Amino acid sequence: MTAVRRYPVLVALCLAALFMVVPFLIVAVNAVKSPAEYSQHGPLSLPKGVYLDGLKDFWERVDYSQKLVNSVLISGSVAILAVILSVLNAYAIGIGRVRGRTWVLAFFVLANMLPQEALVYPIYYLSKQAGLYDTRLSVIIVFTVIQAAFGTYLLSSVLSRFPKEIIEAARIDGANKWQVLWRVVVPVSRPTLGVLLVFFFIWTWNEFLLPLVMLISNDNQTVSVALGVLQGQRLMDATMTNAAALLGVLPALVFFLVFQRTLTRGIAVGAVK
Amino acid sequence: MTVTAIAVTGSLLLTACGGDSDGGGSGDAKTLRLWHYEGPDSAMGAAWAEAIKEFEAQHPGVKVKFEEKGFEQIQKTAPMVLNSSDAPDLMEYNKGNATAGQLSKQGLLTDLTTEAAKRGWDKKLSAAVRTTSTYDTNGVMGSGKWYGVPNYAEYTMVFYNKALFKRYGIAQPKTFDELTAAMDRFVAKGVTPLANAGAEYMAQQYLYQLALSRADRSWVDKYELYKGRTDFHDAAWTYAAETFSDWVKKGYISKKSTSTKAEDAGVSWIQGKAPILFSGSWWYGRFQTEAKFDWDTALWPGSNLTLGSGGNLWVVPKNAKNKDLAYDFIDITMSKKIQNLLGNKGGVPVAADPAAITDPKSKALIENFNTLSTKDGLAFYPDWPVTGFYDVLTSETQKLMTGGEKPDAYLSALQQAYDKGVPDQ
Amino acid sequence: MTVTVERGTRAVGSHRRTGPRRSRPRESYALFLLPGILAFLVVIVVPFLMNTGVSFTEWQGVGTPKWTGLANYRELLDDSEFWASFRHSLFMVVAMAAIPTVLGLVLAAALFDYVAKHFGTRIATVLRACFYLPQVLPIAVAGIVWSWILAPDNGSLNALLKAIGLGSWQQDWLGDPDLALYSVMGVMVWVQLGFPLVVFMAGLQRVDPQLYEAAELDGAGWWRRFWHITLPQIRPEIYVVLTWCTIAALKVFGAVYVLTKGGPGGATDVPSYFSFTTFFEKTQVGYGAAISTVLTVIILVLSLVFLKLQTRTEDAEEGARAA
Repeated sequence: MTAVRRYPVLVALCLAALFMVVPFLIVAVNAVKSPAEYSQHGPLSLPKGVYLDGLKDFWERVDYSQKLVNSVLISGSVAILAVILSVLNAYAIGIGRVRGRTWVLAFFVLANMLPQEALVYPIYYLSKQAGLYDTRLSVIIVFTVIQAAFGTYLLSSVLSRFPKEIIEAARIDGANKWQVLWRVVVPVSRPTLGVLLVFFFIWTWNEFLLPLVMLISNDNQTVSVALGVLQGQRLMDATMTNAAALLGVLPALVFFLVFQRTLTRGIAVGAVK
Repeated sequence: MTVTAIAVTGSLLLTACGGDSDGGGSGDAKTLRLWHYEGPDSAMGAAWAEAIKEFEAQHPGVKVKFEEKGFEQIQKTAPMVLNSSDAPDLMEYNKGNATAGQLSKQGLLTDLTTEAAKRGWDKKLSAAVRTTSTYDTNGVMGSGKWYGVPNYAEYTMVFYNKALFKRYGIAQPKTFDELTAAMDRFVAKGVTPLANAGAEYMAQQYLYQLALSRADRSWVDKYELYKGRTDFHDAAWTYAAETFSDWVKKGYISKKSTSTKAEDAGVSWIQGKAPILFSGSWWYGRFQTEAKFDWDTALWPGSNLTLGSGGNLWVVPKNAKNKDLAYDFIDITMSKKIQNLLGNKGGVPVAADPAAITDPKSKALIENFNTLSTKDGLAFYPDWPVTGFYDVLTSETQKLMTGGEKPDAYLSALQQAYDKGVPDQ
Repeated sequence: MTVTVERGTRAVGSHRRTGPRRSRPRESYALFLLPGILAFLVVIVVPFLMNTGVSFTEWQGVGTPKWTGLANYRELLDDSEFWASFRHSLFMVVAMAAIPTVLGLVLAAALFDYVAKHFGTRIATVLRACFYLPQVLPIAVAGIVWSWILAPDNGSLNALLKAIGLGSWQQDWLGDPDLALYSVMGVMVWVQLGFPLVVFMAGLQRVDPQLYEAAELDGAGWWRRFWHITLPQIRPEIYVVLTWCTIAALKVFGAVYVLTKGGPGGATDVPSYFSFTTFFEKTQVGYGAAISTVLTVIILVLSLVFLKLQTRTEDAEEGARAA
């Protein structure tokens, strides 16, 4: 292909990417608008200045720094734990080829099939019994399991195509199953693991229903629950919602951008050893 | 990498364990755990912040542990929270059979009858406002024991943009006929007169108001208190459905407002796009700050009844540990000082001193309410009688607006949902 | 490091299919499943059983449930709102599974294969981040913004159409019952596109570039390389994405809640939203539990079909590789 013919494709892709990003820009624009301006000119006008008082007020009002800490804690723990759980499960299913693979896989995927509303009352009762009601740990446990469903599914599908020769080679060298897992399989699967970490973090970060039900004390609440404070019964604070959303999105965004690097870092061509 | 991962996870988990709830305060009368969901800028929020200061001044050594909650969280989780050891000492909660009534029926609220009599709260509230404070054993309001105390009230009114009326040379209507005539003239000039939100509560409130203009107190009692059978095909409802549908056809209400939210409707009024808005006193404070034109309010013309009720209630959970402190706090919020403050901030107080209200717009707001209250004109809200009725009303009214349903079928659908959900008496 | 997937014969491989070695390793692999199974039992299976139990009762969420047997299920069969919501969820499957998967595939190949090669990985990464961004924004906020964009009177979309001279195409995107479902579908494509894209791009990294080079030398154009090399290589990812997005589509709730609340007049009602309002707004927990159980069973059956198909293909491929 000649150089000239390449550019239209790039331009088309860039336009499409811009379209994907437009709503974000609208959020950003409204986040720095004063409420009076928003009421006067509507949500889609450009702000006349940068109004940050609303942001400051909201931050103090809901103790946003605490909420951010909670969200990072919960999403981070879930991301790591769910990846570990997925690796263990997928190893057994994809590479170990345990008997009745389909059923085992279905068992794990079931975790994600259950609509969250159905989980609310049972989890509420179980956590009350276990003394874990209104703790961040309960939310971490529940979401680890829910996210691990997807991790197990994706990883086991990928690992089922893992070249057996490499494993055999390692086994011949005297490695047991545990060592093969952590020394051979995990390093090779790093792109997929990276994807899972990113997904789990972001999915858990944006979860709303279960944290709403399980985290009652303000000290334990997450960013998404705090955003809900701005939605009153009949009135809603639009500019603050946008400002808070922007603040709330930043950590997830940073997480994604950081991990993007590991996804694209070219893994050197060569043998596994 | 594995070791680091495990180390990180371990430390994260340890932190999580440490962050357990410190819920379930102690009954040592040293802290008052208080929850509400009104924004700090609202009249209630400001008044209650002042009440907290007053309380701590009057109770040396006692701290108020206030947590601002979200409305949605309380609505969805109140029964669960009140059933646990995490219940606060004092909490704001919605009024009505479906909310406070349910909680009282399930035994989750403390009976406040003796306290109300002892401290004189029952004298301070007018009969109309008191309805939402008492609930019987079936959870129906109007009679029975006291379970909640409101500090404020709400009601609906017509908001007029006087500047727009002047610009188009139309006089502000005083009667219902003048209202329809004015709307006709706006349509002729290409302006949609009424702001509306079809996706939320506004549309159904227009409809209910139209029905109320042909109804009386016993009609409301039948509908809201189940004192008789509600017939959705009676004169009042039929008039309401047909008129509303007619108004959409005539262009008084935009057909394109089926998916609008209340926020957008309010903003369109503030922007000066819609000359008339019919909605509640909860907008008042915001309009006072943000509307930059000359505006006025009036009760719906030609009707003795309009939507409204006592405001959200202070309730004391059964599991509350510091009930006496809670009662003291309620007392403070009912004092003249706090009530006057609420009135001056754009809210509708229930027990303020009329002379102490200085802002003219606030004065007008409260005067209108007092008129309404004395003539027993508060008719509550259309979605109260049956749980989940709000969704039915919204959905069916949308169909009525788009023309997908005729008024007769609309009323039958409402009848069906109402009959299905009405509690057995 | 590139994982080579040679399809040639290998001495070790041909031994694999026979011999006693295969039966013993399988049992001990099961040990790896132990933590997963325990956790899932406690967090998912037990609540699911509790939920199914509740579906046979009438309950408000507090107090004692009242046993009613199959009454909820009988009512569900007759409930036209419920079945209408299922029809709508089929549309959601198209919008959230079919379209994003296809678009995601093409985009992933374009970004990975084409843009990265000719314009550098930096710009490919930036573009990928842009496409993924909608997944990062909380759906509650995205919903508010989209309702501003799709507003009939001053919304960006209608304003844009008017500005480029297509004023007659302006619509009440979310308020017209005939259009609302398609508008919601459009927003869902916007939300979902990033997910398949990132998964596919990660999968493409496993593909041996030597395969592409060999094909290029043979004179194969971009499309033929895509069809004959890319697609088969990332087949596991395609299966996973399709299955997962279909499950997500059948369970979709957030977007409908924020954009249309199931309206106008129930035109965009989906089973999950119906179940949510039953649980929390009507507090008919028993009936809501019945809805969730039926929904879960349907999703379970569908997923089993997908999974069986997938493992059968995997087994066939394994057989082909060994041969």
